[in-house]
Amino acid sequence: MEERQISVLLEQAEVQRRLANHKGAIELVQKALAIDPTHAHAHAALAFCLLDARRLPAAGIEIRTALALEGNDTYIHYVAAVVMTAERKLDDAWAHALIALDEGHGDAITHVVAAEIQVLKGDNARAKELLLEALELEADNCDALTELARLELNAGNRAAAEEHIELALKADPSDRDAHVVAGYVALAKGDDAAAEQHARFVLNQESTHEAGLKLFTAVKAKRSPLLGVWWRWNTWVSLRDDRRQIALLIGTFVIARILIIVTDELGYETLSQFLSYGWLGFCAYTWFAPELFRKWLENELGTVKLDPDY
Amino acid sequence: MSYQIADEPTETSLGAYVVRPTAPLLAAMVCGSWLAWPWFAFNAIAMGSPTKRKELLIVAGAFVGTAVLAMLVIFLARGGYLPPGIPTRLAVLGIVTFKLSMTYYMSVVQERTFHVYEYYGGSVRNAGVVISLGYYLRSAVIGVSDDPLWIIIVAGGI
Repeated sequence: MEERQISVLLEQAEVQRRLANHKGAIELVQKALAIDPTHAHAHAALAFCLLDARRLPAAGIEIRTALALEGNDTYIHYVAAVVMTAERKLDDAWAHALIALDEGHGDAITHVVAAEIQVLKGDNARAKELLLEALELEADNCDALTELARLELNAGNRAAAEEHIELALKADPSDRDAHVVAGYVALAKGDDAAAEQHARFVLNQESTHEAGLKLFTAVKAKRSPLLGVWWRWNTWVSLRDDRRQIALLIGTFVIARILIIVTDELGYETLSQFLSYGWLGFCAYTWFAPELFRKWLENELGTVKLDPDY
Repeated sequence: MSYQIADEPTETSLGAYVVRPTAPLLAAMVCGSWLAWPWFAFNAIAMGSPTKRKELLIVAGAFVGTAVLAMLVIFLARGGYLPPGIPTRLAVLGIVTFKLSMTYYMSVVQERTFHVYEYYGGSVRNAGVVISLGYYLRSAVIGVSDDPLWIIIVAGGI
């Protein structure tokens, strides 16, 4: 009876997760875990929902609890691979992805996750192999086609990227990630208007979709050189985990200060002052630019209206 | 009854005084550590942060670490081991870097809980008045003592 109740709650949570109702999904899994706190699948499902809600530390705790409770479940290893990829613990993520692939249940989506890990590890050739394997298992898998398009785009093969993303959108015209990649393909072609349409479609479906917001911002940043500089800096910094981000920011500070001190002590006072004001300007800019950007986005997104025929 | 997720903050009676972690971070730069670090600690308590203990330890570590580094630099400078000019300024830069790293680390740790706190509809107070007041009081607080140890610990700045 309990197991049936938990299954129903987890199924409902999965529906809510797909609808991007993260809060609703999390509450349903919490109810399932209140019934049985040792339910490994429920802990894994919770980790997935928390990851979608960008609560990575809690997702990490939940997936490790799931693994401790049940170490032989393919789904749990699959979720572990996804969560650890987000944590940028790529070797651990790859180990779990391999177990998920080896269990004989290596479906297309597991291959896609494994390919994403390889991309982050810098092995694009292996990633491509995995994506082609995914497409052998399921020729019209939208996720695999989307990732392949992303891979081709990053490799500079725009025509191939365009071809794959068209197929992905044909397979699932409402897939948000596919629209995001289609937007970047359009941006690479210089078609800002088409890119913006893709971004607006994604944000109409889920206003907090991170990749959709990034695409929308990338479109806007391309049109504004001033905020565009900050956006590129921010994107570059945010590719790293928290500790590396802090190290990078502090490192920039230390280099700037050493240059200021050394030029000042060597008698180049004008240069030292110039560096000092430059550093202050950089600090002010990086402090206020995100807020300006956020306000700008809010205004822009406030104008998004659903088509009455939608 | 519901399952408690590890990152969920617990409700406290001080919830009305929670501010964004960027507020103490800004305070560290424009007012000084005397305001910023205790403010981080208060914010962690007010938010009912599940990482409260860790955050309080970071604050304590920041004060103790800065004091130890400052005493070392003062000892080396007074003993003549650290010549004035570039070496002394670089040594002070080392302390400032340590303070800034600790402040950023506190901000990053608190930001995680704040994200969840805000997600569950927790109230957030505007910190403008406190930062303005802190900026106004900065000179008075730093001027409480002319001991370099005191100045190094409580000062801020970018």
